[in-house]
Amino acid sequence: MAKTDAPQRDMTSIGEVVSPAFVRLPEPLQLFCTRAARFRYLAEGHDLKPYLLFLAGIAEAQHVVQGGLPAPTLPKADALKRAREFSMPALDRARFEPDQVLDQTLERLLDQVIGIDMPEAAAEALARLRSTDGVARAEMVRSVLAYAIPMETLADHLYVAAALQVQFARLAAQLDAKSLVPVGDGACPVCGGLPATSMVVGWQGAHGARYCGCALCGTLWNYVRIKCALCGSTAGIAYEELEGGAGTIKAETCKSCHGYVKILHQHQDPAVDPIADDVASLGLDLLVRETGFTRGGANPFLVGY
Amino acid sequence: MNMELSRRTLLKGAGVGLAGTALGAFGFGGIEAAYADAIRAFKLVGTTETRNTCPYCSVACGVIMYSKGDLTKGEKAEITHIEGDVDHPTNRGTLCPKGAALLDFVKSETRLTKPRIRKPGADKFEDISWNDALDRIARLMKDDRDANFEAQNQDGVTVNRWKTTGFLAASASTNETAFLTYKVVRSTGILAFDNQARV
Repeated sequence: MAKTDAPQRDMTSIGEVVSPAFVRLPEPLQLFCTRAARFRYLAEGHDLKPYLLFLAGIAEAQHVVQGGLPAPTLPKADALKRAREFSMPALDRARFEPDQVLDQTLERLLDQVIGIDMPEAAAEALARLRSTDGVARAEMVRSVLAYAIPMETLADHLYVAAALQVQFARLAAQLDAKSLVPVGDGACPVCGGLPATSMVVGWQGAHGARYCGCALCGTLWNYVRIKCALCGSTAGIAYEELEGGAGTIKAETCKSCHGYVKILHQHQDPAVDPIADDVASLGLDLLVRETGFTRGGANPFLVGY
Repeated sequence: MNMELSRRTLLKGAGVGLAGTALGAFGFGGIEAAYADAIRAFKLVGTTETRNTCPYCSVACGVIMYSKGDLTKGEKAEITHIEGDVDHPTNRGTLCPKGAALLDFVKSETRLTKPRIRKPGADKFEDISWNDALDRIARLMKDDRDANFEAQNQDGVTVNRWKTTGFLAASASTNETAFLTYKVVRSTGILAFDNQARV
């Protein structure tokens, strides 16, 4: 990631022509600590401050657990080649099997999360999850990846989702960005997941281009603007924002599928994070859903909206 | 995703309110409800972004026009900003100085918004209806063609040309429009024809 932003000495880059890379893979060692800082920043003076601070704690835990953790194993080269050949995501989420690295990630995460200031319900869910065995956890992993979380044990599953974010970001980081191909509207080229949000970026070489941010692996993929990030329709796209807002977060509503995904203007506010700013702008969701649009962003920390 | 949604609807129907959300599950239901109440005081503002083609020249750069107000809700829409379309293969987000000033072009007080005519010998333009304008253009073209069409040149070679009238079309037209314009204009014998203004 840093490579794209780094200043270049070549003076001829003034007036450059934009040629956005198709994907920007996550850098797991930077992703979660930046996100934690963003959550803390957004929490100041926010009505949802306790929740944002709680999520800052989770993001910090997601960062800390990576220290000394062995790298997860990518699918075999021929599987990756086949996926590319048939325009399928590099990582097959339907066939994902929890491995030892994920077990360790989750175990370490739970050890870290216990230190966060949290309500009773969150603490109970944590205790419940700590007492489950590998079989139950594997089932939870499948539910999270299939977007089919049972409401009764929602909080338990969200801790698992946090561990999966770490696991998939670390898997994605090992891929070769140039080997990835578009796999369809609203699907991450790495893991096939739905976007949490999308953002118009101000990166050097990609200024003004839009990227969708995967809710699971954190991969950012280039996606044409003024096009529904869920169904791909270009007709009936409108943007809604809170009156008096800074114009940096809008809901991109689609009259074809009646869904919406938030679009963040990173070129106006370089610090926006696809997950953190999504949670902090929950007010926009509350108002937009009154107008008949369904939330399409798959941010685990806003499940239920 | 659908499963979540259907379950949430069920919970809402049962009077549980916001219980089926991540915030509620983690025990933040109290602040969630307070936040939901507080946000009711706010309103939404709609904006649209529309793709179009810069009308200036034959490069036909893609532009994105930002406007406030939703026409489909009966509001008046007003263009607030125009910039290069990054996704457009021709200009990839860039615009020349003329294109970058398109917003002033749109809002210019001297912008031509209706057909006008300056008759031979007159010193100023006057308004004319579209019907009258088109009738007049057709009449004048017909008269001119009848008078000046050349079926053969001096050597007796068939040329079927009409050299005394020219035709200029617009840059923002589609391929189909350009094709039809070409067919119509060329079939009359007009030689001085450009489907596109040159820079």
